[in-house]
Amino acid sequence: MALLNANPVVYQTSINNIRVESETDFDDDVVDPIDSEEVYELLRSISDPEHPLTLEQLNVTQLQHITVNNDENHVLVEFTPTIPHCSMATLIGLCIRVRLLRSLPERFKVDIKVRKGTHQSENAVNKQLNDKERVAAALENKHLLEVVNQCLTTAARDAVAH
Amino acid sequence: MPRLELVASLEGHQDRVWQAIWHPSKTILATCSGDKTVRLWAPASHSDMSNWQCINTLEGGHKRTIRSVAWSPSGHEMATASFDATTGIWEHDQRDNDWECVATLEGHENEIKSVAWSSSGQLLATCSRDKSVWIWEVETDNDFECLSVLQEHSQDVKMVAWHPHQEILASASYDDTIKIWREDDDDWYCSDTLQGHTSTVWALDFDASGDHIVSASDDQTLRIWKMYKPNNAQGIPTPSNDPTYRTVCTLSGYHGRCIYSVSWSKVNNHIASASGDNTIRVFTQTAGGDEPSWEAVATIKDAHGVHDINNVTWFPTQQHGDWLATAGDDGVARIWRLVEDE
Repeated sequence: MALLNANPVVYQTSINNIRVESETDFDDDVVDPIDSEEVYELLRSISDPEHPLTLEQLNVTQLQHITVNNDENHVLVEFTPTIPHCSMATLIGLCIRVRLLRSLPERFKVDIKVRKGTHQSENAVNKQLNDKERVAAALENKHLLEVVNQCLTTAARDAVAH
Repeated sequence: MPRLELVASLEGHQDRVWQAIWHPSKTILATCSGDKTVRLWAPASHSDMSNWQCINTLEGGHKRTIRSVAWSPSGHEMATASFDATTGIWEHDQRDNDWECVATLEGHENEIKSVAWSSSGQLLATCSRDKSVWIWEVETDNDFECLSVLQEHSQDVKMVAWHPHQEILASASYDDTIKIWREDDDDWYCSDTLQGHTSTVWALDFDASGDHIVSASDDQTLRIWKMYKPNNAQGIPTPSNDPTYRTVCTLSGYHGRCIYSVSWSKVNNHIASASGDNTIRVFTQTAGGDEPSWEAVATIKDAHGVHDINNVTWFPTQQHGDWLATAGDDGVARIWRLVEDE
């Protein structure tokens, strides 16, 4: 099968992207709100459905495009498909949603959107990714769930390693 | 100002609860869930309405989520709509007080999102992600004949609701519209398309007269639509010679996320809404006519903790007209009472 994007640009992952643990991280008395770095950590090692590369290496997820509002229990993740007609955009967004569904505290409401102007079906992709009924139905599809889990195995491995 | 008081919390489902629907006359609540079951709940005794228990579990009928459940007008039958693309028909067996799946309606291509019985009990409507609305005729011996397959929505159809006393159907869709369906000599057709919402319409309900509709949307607003008949005094055009609906009031700024459900009480005329912002709101009408106004009179924040609220339903009769049932992503159904002060 021909790849949709045969030669994606691979980005150098910066060492600065890796969150450095501070002493207070281990102090139970210090309130440690969830921040965008922590959300980024959860997402950066998810595998692309097509390439043996991570969403970070493909620049699909970027730290500065994650917004966390702890007081309002809200997370917004904007992602950038590798090409404007990427048919994998919904699947990538679904992987991001499932990862956060499984990892973040239940109190968070998560919105996932294609970064403005980076996909030709931006509105359709956004609408589908934020319709929880369609997400629930998609996750009851065994084949689709397998694909999602496959993309998330690298993320899970990464999280354990830290 | 009136306020909402919690009457009971019904815990038992193993997954999110999508709907909580009152029996047409009795104090029985049916809930359906992602755990593929329907549960029936009733007060443990007539003297203590705060202690509810699960009196029946309907299981084995569906392979996937049960998204919607509907009582027949008599209360002797129930219909269940499932993501497995089938509709289950369940009958109450009075001898052993049990519910049995007596028919399975097939035909939709994928997930069924909603099911509703007409007021006469003679018709059943279903709608699906396959963009269609189906109308079924209820025949004897649990036989159902498909009368019509209506394919005018351009996207996933989220909900169907019948007019309170006529054979008129309304459907709400991911295509941001509501459509009204009528019968002409055994032929069902779309008589009106209600445009105005800017995102998915998740739910709708008629008022007691059937002349108004309230709709709830992902655009975080509620809209109230009024029906205008041909040759109406206001001069609203009715091109196809059928009544047409126009938005006469938009309630915005009340919910901060998608509104998943709305219920218009046939008893006290209040409107209740439930949202992904974890809040239930109750509205009361302060002016009528062609420019009606409504105001919020009661709010419960975090009605299901940090979870989305998927459904809200007023008790259908005078007996407990102040009762409201809600269903949440926390797997819990709750019963509330609207208390008027003084």
